[in-house]
Amino acid sequence: MDFRWPDEYLAFRDEVDAFIQQWRTPELAAEIQQREGAPGPLSRKYFAALQDRGWMRMCWPADMGGEGRDPIYQFILVEAMEYWRMPYGNLTFTSIAPSIGQYGSEHQKQKYLPGIWNGELTFAIGYSEPNAGTDLAALRTKGEKVEGGWKVNGQKIWTSLAENSTHIWLATRTDPDAKKHAGISVLIVQTNAPGVTIRPLKTMSGLTTYETFYDDVFVPDEDVLPPLHGGWGVIMHALNHERVGLSPTSNLVRNYDVVVAELQRNAPHKLADPVVRMRLAELRMELERHRALAIRNAVTISRGEIKPGEASMAKISGSELRYRMSNLLVDILGRVGGLARDDDHAVERALVQGNFLSSPILRFGGGTNEVQRSILAARHLGMTR
Amino acid sequence: MDPDFDETQLLLQTTTRQFLEGEVPFERVREHEEKCRADQKLWQAMAAQGWLGVALPEAVGGGGAGLVEAGILVHELARRAAVVPGVEALASAIVLARHADADQSALLRGIVDGEVVVVPALLEAGDDFAQVDSAVGEAGELSGEKRFVDYPDFATHHLVSARGPEGLGLYLVERGDAAIETEERSCTGRTPQADVRYRGANAQRVAGESAVGQLLDIGRALTAAQILGSMEVSLEMTVEYTNLRVQFGQPLASFQAVQHHAADMCMHVESNRFMVYELLDSLERGTAGSADAALVKASVSRSVPFVTMQAHQLHGGQGLIEENDLYFFTIRGKDRSLAWGTAEECLAKVAEDVESPPRWI
Repeated sequence: MDFRWPDEYLAFRDEVDAFIQQWRTPELAAEIQQREGAPGPLSRKYFAALQDRGWMRMCWPADMGGEGRDPIYQFILVEAMEYWRMPYGNLTFTSIAPSIGQYGSEHQKQKYLPGIWNGELTFAIGYSEPNAGTDLAALRTKGEKVEGGWKVNGQKIWTSLAENSTHIWLATRTDPDAKKHAGISVLIVQTNAPGVTIRPLKTMSGLTTYETFYDDVFVPDEDVLPPLHGGWGVIMHALNHERVGLSPTSNLVRNYDVVVAELQRNAPHKLADPVVRMRLAELRMELERHRALAIRNAVTISRGEIKPGEASMAKISGSELRYRMSNLLVDILGRVGGLARDDDHAVERALVQGNFLSSPILRFGGGTNEVQRSILAARHLGMTR
Repeated sequence: MDPDFDETQLLLQTTTRQFLEGEVPFERVREHEEKCRADQKLWQAMAAQGWLGVALPEAVGGGGAGLVEAGILVHELARRAAVVPGVEALASAIVLARHADADQSALLRGIVDGEVVVVPALLEAGDDFAQVDSAVGEAGELSGEKRFVDYPDFATHHLVSARGPEGLGLYLVERGDAAIETEERSCTGRTPQADVRYRGANAQRVAGESAVGQLLDIGRALTAAQILGSMEVSLEMTVEYTNLRVQFGQPLASFQAVQHHAADMCMHVESNRFMVYELLDSLERGTAGSADAALVKASVSRSVPFVTMQAHQLHGGQGLIEENDLYFFTIRGKDRSLAWGTAEECLAKVAEDVESPPRWI
């Protein structure tokens, strides 16, 4: 038992932080916000610099082009990036790329990985359907075998980032006769392929998600992730890869820091109020609780162990705290806390208000918190199913 | 970053648990609870096992280990709801060993052997650890009143915070002194606690002001480990009970509503487990301070009523009757959440510095 971070981890955190400070310009932030994730001139340069550092592959084994560092480095990278809301490829890097590295054919690795590394290729994830959300394996988007590939028909929903992505990581039922979990394959579909329709769905937080329709879309055999019909395993692997940094503490801390700085600047009387100070003290306590679960999970994963209950705890805790915390912090700011992003009096481009409005996504997304609680009860506590 | 016990710590945990499960049947706990007296026989066994000196230097016969090991012991004692002043004696001994102005090796040897039992006497009428009106005169006579002293009559010595000619400090007082009166209180936890009046008792100054703060920090950290033990057992009992109890033709544990309560309990237990041992480890290494100790004490104090009340919710009437062991953990947990600073008091300490940025790794 030793709760100190070894110096090399702290040095890495400082290195990432120095990199972020160098690139964190208002111009880059504006470009990212305006383009909602699509690469622009500034972000291309930024991703090239990020790629130069080798951080995206540092945790991969050496025979897959990585450095074999332990996943704690990725945990620290994600935490540092999330504090400043810097893009780091998100799921394309943390989930899709490792899955292509693990399951992809040689051809797929050559075709996709370099473009992912330099930020040219970005993936939207096509899992959920109107009738397959929490019960993902009920998905019905179907692929029919045709000459040289697959003809895909169906509909996905919550295909976030679809419009600004080059590809969709599409869970498809390729064997209608197999059991629910056994007949699924992952297909890599170009967003501009004929037959793909993308319809934006504006959400209340100001972010846009998408539903995507597939009408006789042709996907060549070479873009089917092996093993054919073994997609459920690929999806589970991809989800596992997300889990090391799935619920960062840092973006919650950033909300706290932004509010305290604002109070110091413009409302010192509120910060002097003992009631406000007690509320903030409670938030610090809750942040420590979440940090504990997040680190616990990351350490377990870094040892190569799988404890689904720990990932579930980190996921539930981070998402529940996000809503409680942003709600309380908006209240502490008062009316100015309720200002929206397009108001020039908003604090830090309405970071906290935005987090409040987007917090539902994290509670039901990525496996609803209810499903996580059931996983925790069954697999961590050993309760009878 | 290694949040798990090393082999030696794991062995300590395992052997302690096995020993206590054999040595302390819950029936015996009930007896001591009823008499409201410490379990003398267990105390002697603890001395024989070397536990009382676990965190004391080897030079005085101690185990040479640290706060984490002391934490493991009180955590395990709490899992048996044992009626002994584990936290109080270990915290006092550790502070005496670290801070004593003069050589206290004879006293420390006595502590290791179980012949000397030192318990802290810190809290006064103001219900605020910082407010100390007890005073020691030029001749070393202590006058004052301390509240909610744990095991004051089982102890051979009290370690009292008081103001003397050299300022605030810790004073050692022998319990046998005729100038000491105790008035027993009847507390939620059903362990011996009393208000203590010192009317010119003979007091020896053993440490200065910084030791008072350190005693509070260590006491909070060890109490947090104790509270963790209470909530952990509540959760385990709940899982076991709901797995066995069949209603509507199926085990209670198979109902989602029940599972989700247990999941929430589990998150309290596991987050606090990490925090408690991180605090003990960091205090030992000198990298944690009073605000950290207060934060963790606040956290366990907030969590334990939630966890134990959910345990009762899922046990129904079974959990309320004293033939069932569940109530031990509810009452001890709540009682200890009040001791060494309530959640509110501890949060007020955290609130003194809300400006510093919270950590995220």
